[in-house]
Amino acid sequence: MKSDHKGKIIEVLGGSNLETKLESMGLYKGKEITKLSHIGLRGPVVIKAGRSILALGHGVAAKVIVSSE
Amino acid sequence: MIKKIYLLGNPNVGKSVVFSRLTGVQVVSSNYPGTTVGIDSGYLTLKDGRIEVVDLPGTYSLEPSSKAEEVAVSLLKEHPKNEMVVINIVDSTNLERNLLLTIQLIEEGFPVVMCLNMSDEAAHKGVKVDPVKLSGILHIPVVPTCAITGVGIKSLIEKISDAAQISRKKLSNQERWVEIGNIVESVQTLEHRHHTLRELLEDASVRPISGLLMAGAVIYSAFKLVRFLGESIINNITDPIFIDLYRPFLEKLTEYWQEKGFWFHLLIGDLINGKIDFKQSLGVLTTAPYIEFGMVLPYIISFYLILSLLEDIGYLPRLAVLLDNVLHRLGLHGYAIIPMLLGFGCNVPGILSTRVLESKRERFIASTLISIGVPCVPLQAMIFGLLGMFGGIYVAGVYLVLFSIILILGIILNSAIPGYSPEFLLEIPPYRFPPILVLVKKLYYRVKGFLIEAVPVVLVGVMVINILIYFKLFDYITGFFAPIVHNLFGLPKDAIAALVIGFLRKDVAVGMLMPLGLSAKQLFISAVLLAISFPCVATFFIIWKELGLKSLLKSTAIMIGISIIVGSLLNLLIW
Repeated sequence: MKSDHKGKIIEVLGGSNLETKLESMGLYKGKEITKLSHIGLRGPVVIKAGRSILALGHGVAAKVIVSSE
Repeated sequence: MIKKIYLLGNPNVGKSVVFSRLTGVQVVSSNYPGTTVGIDSGYLTLKDGRIEVVDLPGTYSLEPSSKAEEVAVSLLKEHPKNEMVVINIVDSTNLERNLLLTIQLIEEGFPVVMCLNMSDEAAHKGVKVDPVKLSGILHIPVVPTCAITGVGIKSLIEKISDAAQISRKKLSNQERWVEIGNIVESVQTLEHRHHTLRELLEDASVRPISGLLMAGAVIYSAFKLVRFLGESIINNITDPIFIDLYRPFLEKLTEYWQEKGFWFHLLIGDLINGKIDFKQSLGVLTTAPYIEFGMVLPYIISFYLILSLLEDIGYLPRLAVLLDNVLHRLGLHGYAIIPMLLGFGCNVPGILSTRVLESKRERFIASTLISIGVPCVPLQAMIFGLLGMFGGIYVAGVYLVLFSIILILGIILNSAIPGYSPEFLLEIPPYRFPPILVLVKKLYYRVKGFLIEAVPVVLVGVMVINILIYFKLFDYITGFFAPIVHNLFGLPKDAIAALVIGFLRKDVAVGMLMPLGLSAKQLFISAVLLAISFPCVATFFIIWKELGLKSLLKSTAIMIGISIIVGSLLNLLIW
């Protein structure tokens, strides 16, 4: 997914623990998000979901499957 | 009958500000998630009498995912539900995300009052939430507030007794979000606003190139400002007071002192060229107050002023995002930068705030790195005061050595300790501009905390040292350690006493080095050793309390090992 593009969360891989945690922060299946930036060298991905801005570590971001528009 | 009131809400919604408003107890609040890692409690007087109010660490849900969240949730479940009220503090600018916790609380049968905080900011951003409608849908009292200015707090207090348990069907998270979507749809209206300069800056600070440039500029100017402010206070305020007012007074006093025996030695110390020298006399009335008020306090004020400003603006989480990939190599993640920065003020709050990190492994690595590689303000102030006269290069050298130690040790610990570094997941707050009064209050609170903790220890410490010197008791210790310190580190045997005292307080230890007339190289090595060897006793106990005896012993073994290696290396490498 490219910076400044929108997409919808389809699935969260890697166990229900991570899924619950993301869910409680507002990243649930079907939620529309916008990717803002990605810090290089396996750094975090910054996204906007609703009115929150969230930073996801590289490993977490890799587990969030998004359908890009 | 209400016996307890708990404040609960998502991270960074202003729980601590509401707490201070309700109880009058001043606690530190900042603009980043995870400021409160412990429990604060105070009292509120209602018509039923005094009720305990407890400020809990922020949590996104009742299913905790960090130590601090665990603390919050377990405490909440300790008390019978019919004897308490939960004030659920909600960020009005981000209603949707906050409602999950609210719904969970209602489902679990807690009596809830909702405090719709930051209503002024919401209005400013074009977000309108209808409290009456929201209250009607959720069947709980809803009060809009702006805690930082105090608006709405009075009606919040009035509504506390209206809270009641209600029964509500338990849903899955997925179902809750669907319902929340519907609620938000009906109570919130959005007005379109154009992008502001603030939003542009918010955005630029988390993009790779512009973000790193901004981070470099912010860190550099923060460091320069701390030094500039600290030095200005010393040159214009504290030094004139000590030298022009306090010294003549002490000198009058000593004129009447015919016999220069034990008490003279204890209170005034040694005269240097027949005069009192605040840096070298080492007396309870001379050097002790000078170290604390004349050398350390100015930097405490300037450091916490700048730190508080960065905290309240909301810059620190952005720094965490940018540094995540570096810290990942050390077995930590980006958020560990916040405990580390707090550690620069004093290691104790730094180590306490490692509670925001998820695993014990991370907390151990972070605490060890802080206690070894992060010098606290008292130590830094003394390093400026002492090494500064040999040139800035020595001061910069100390930081460079410490920084390298953090990197190398972190990489080693990360590969040596089994486990993995957890992933980073953080909400980034908007930039906010704190009212000056709020900033001043926070600074006052932190400086007061420093004075209460430091001054007695320093006075007693200098007294004990003088007694030990007077009766020549240090000779036993120094005789034992002299070969190591002399052969490996190239330091005179008198420096040993200072290194030992470093365990008590770092600033006093550097104070003891001052009269020794060490060379620049020797001072440099002593300063580094003081920073990395045993942390002061307060830090020692906090590691014990937070991580247990086993971790403390491991951490200590690492410290001793590193001190010997680094001390010897520096002695060999520098001429």
